[in-house]
Amino acid sequence: MKFAKFAAVSALALSAALPAAAETTIRIAGFGASSGVVGIFGQNSGAAMAAAVEKVNAEGGVTLADGSHAMLETEYYDDRCNAEEGISVLRRIATTDAVVAVGPTCSNVAEPLFGILQAHIDDGGDTGLQFPIFTDVAIKGGLAGISEWVFRNTPSEAKMYDDLFAWLRAEHPEAKTIFGGVEEDFAHSRFTWYSVMKTAAEAHGFEVVGEAQWLVNDTNFSNQARAMRRAEPDIVAISAHPFTTCGMLREMSRQGVEPEVLVGLTSSSSLETLTGCANEAQGLTIPTSFAPVNDAAREAADAVAAKGGALDLHSAAAWENIMILRDVINAAHIDGTAESLEADRRKIRDALASMETVEGLLGTNGRTAEGESIKPYVFVSASGDAWEVVHNPDS
Amino acid sequence: MEFYLGLLQILGVHTLLGLSAYIVLLTGQVSMAQAGFYAVGAYLAAACTTMFGLHILPAILIAAVLTGALACLVGFPALRVKGLMLVVATLAFGEMVRLFFFNLTWQIDRTGELVGPNGAEGFRSIRFFPENGWDTADVAMFIWAVVAVVMALLYWVDNTRAGAVLRAVGHDETAAQSIGLNLTAIKVGAMAAGGAIAGLGGGIYAHTVTHIEHGVFGILLATFAIAYPILGGLGSVFGTLIAVVFVQGFLVEGLRFLGDWRSLLFGALIVVAMNLRPTGLLGERMPRLSQLLRRRSAAANKLNEAD
Repeated sequence: MKFAKFAAVSALALSAALPAAAETTIRIAGFGASSGVVGIFGQNSGAAMAAAVEKVNAEGGVTLADGSHAMLETEYYDDRCNAEEGISVLRRIATTDAVVAVGPTCSNVAEPLFGILQAHIDDGGDTGLQFPIFTDVAIKGGLAGISEWVFRNTPSEAKMYDDLFAWLRAEHPEAKTIFGGVEEDFAHSRFTWYSVMKTAAEAHGFEVVGEAQWLVNDTNFSNQARAMRRAEPDIVAISAHPFTTCGMLREMSRQGVEPEVLVGLTSSSSLETLTGCANEAQGLTIPTSFAPVNDAAREAADAVAAKGGALDLHSAAAWENIMILRDVINAAHIDGTAESLEADRRKIRDALASMETVEGLLGTNGRTAEGESIKPYVFVSASGDAWEVVHNPDS
Repeated sequence: MEFYLGLLQILGVHTLLGLSAYIVLLTGQVSMAQAGFYAVGAYLAAACTTMFGLHILPAILIAAVLTGALACLVGFPALRVKGLMLVVATLAFGEMVRLFFFNLTWQIDRTGELVGPNGAEGFRSIRFFPENGWDTADVAMFIWAVVAVVMALLYWVDNTRAGAVLRAVGHDETAAQSIGLNLTAIKVGAMAAGGAIAGLGGGIYAHTVTHIEHGVFGILLATFAIAYPILGGLGSVFGTLIAVVFVQGFLVEGLRFLGDWRSLLFGALIVVAMNLRPTGLLGERMPRLSQLLRRRSAAANKLNEAD
């Protein structure tokens, strides 16, 4: 009797488990820095990906070539913003059943990582890794050109800052001079000051009266702030991530450096800056490709917050990437089997390459032939304990 | 498989970095300059293949010879000081090298693309391996062939009079000098050999990551370089290899799933390892196979007697 009961319960459990075991899942891997100095970026991206996957699955998942539905799965790998580890993580992801990866966080990881991929599609002489990557955070310009397996959903800083300085010229006609502060040893911040902000400021008639440099791990900014005070600029542009931006702003406040306008790096338009130094950051103006200005953006921000993250311009890209990949997978007619893994990855790459426009949280994102994106953006300014939209170039 | 082959590549280049510090440590000198030599080797070899179209083999050999010569030059003034002063002097050299590459811009046009070091932006497109049909397994085999040659050479040196001389200087400089050993020549020789090995490792490293920049070759890398032989033990070249596998294979890759806790555990496990094995994982003297077998048979005999 006992055995019969046991057999019946087992059979019931097995039959209940069978449909679940047969359910197809499509894995999208995430990777980036989720520990270390810039770990918060990876943590937010991981939360945004998890929240977006949950939303996609709640809406029925994705459709495969045979018309059946599959659920998405995601897992986030930490590369500590280290190039060697980033490459190792990507190789690990390539050995799993992931069809595409979203990442990395740091431009200094992205550059070598893209270098190990096959540069040109179908080039039999190039043994580089053949795996599609859809980058969310690493923002340094022009990196998608390294490999045809790379696609990016990061805003064009050149366009954003050109518009910002044009707007500042109109809003502050009396401002003449600018002083640049730059986090010198971080690829993104360095590139943004020397190749983007400085160029845009000069193009719109601002005279650069000085530059101060510091490192990402620095904690003392007194000399740099003193140089700013001596130069008495109308505008101070700080090309640094939230951690040293706050250090610099506090020191400027201590030394009484009060420029008419404060400009920050795109990456600093995040919660970390307000958490770290809201008082000193008041008025800090930054162009960003994300702000909770519409229902979709607010809904996404709430969903990510529920996962323990915060939605900013970087993590918003991770959210958008999952939504874009849902559409890409639906359009690519992948099979989603172990045997079709290589072919599925290629189909996803080709579908990503054929995209011309996609819907993002702030509107329609354009795509360039090199795999870069052209995203809508707004100018935000720190006001109280929130970022307030001060100008929308599209409105 | 791709992942494990990639991991083998990492273990290989880190073993070369550790061995470059090992030979200097044998003479009792703590050099923090190895990351600097590694950087010089990386930039030189990368320039040879991407800017001048050389094959990887002559490229890394040129890098090794030139880096060895540079280490020899650095060795003369640096080794006039000892202990902490030497650590500071070699650290300063390492930083000087890093800042040199931070400011170095030297690009040439090759097939319509600018290649070469570009200051803080780094040195991009060091793609000799994929562009010449080397897959991950080929690269891993190549790296381990180089590592095997270097380890065999060091093992051989270790078991000859030269090895005894290096260790004699490391144990007691005054006693070594009193028996007529030329301390300067020995220390500078070890420094040059260490520099050459670091140059070799750096040259290969640059080609495995395809992009290098100054930030990679900082104090952390210099610390890793000397940590490998110290953690593994100076008894034999195999200590360094075991330490590299422990650090890169277990602590970095094996514990990746722990996220932020990995960094905390990383330090704690090294402290535990050094407490359990203060003279390194393999100790100060390499246990010989015959000794190990004798110990095992003695233990078996005791058990038999007890029965």
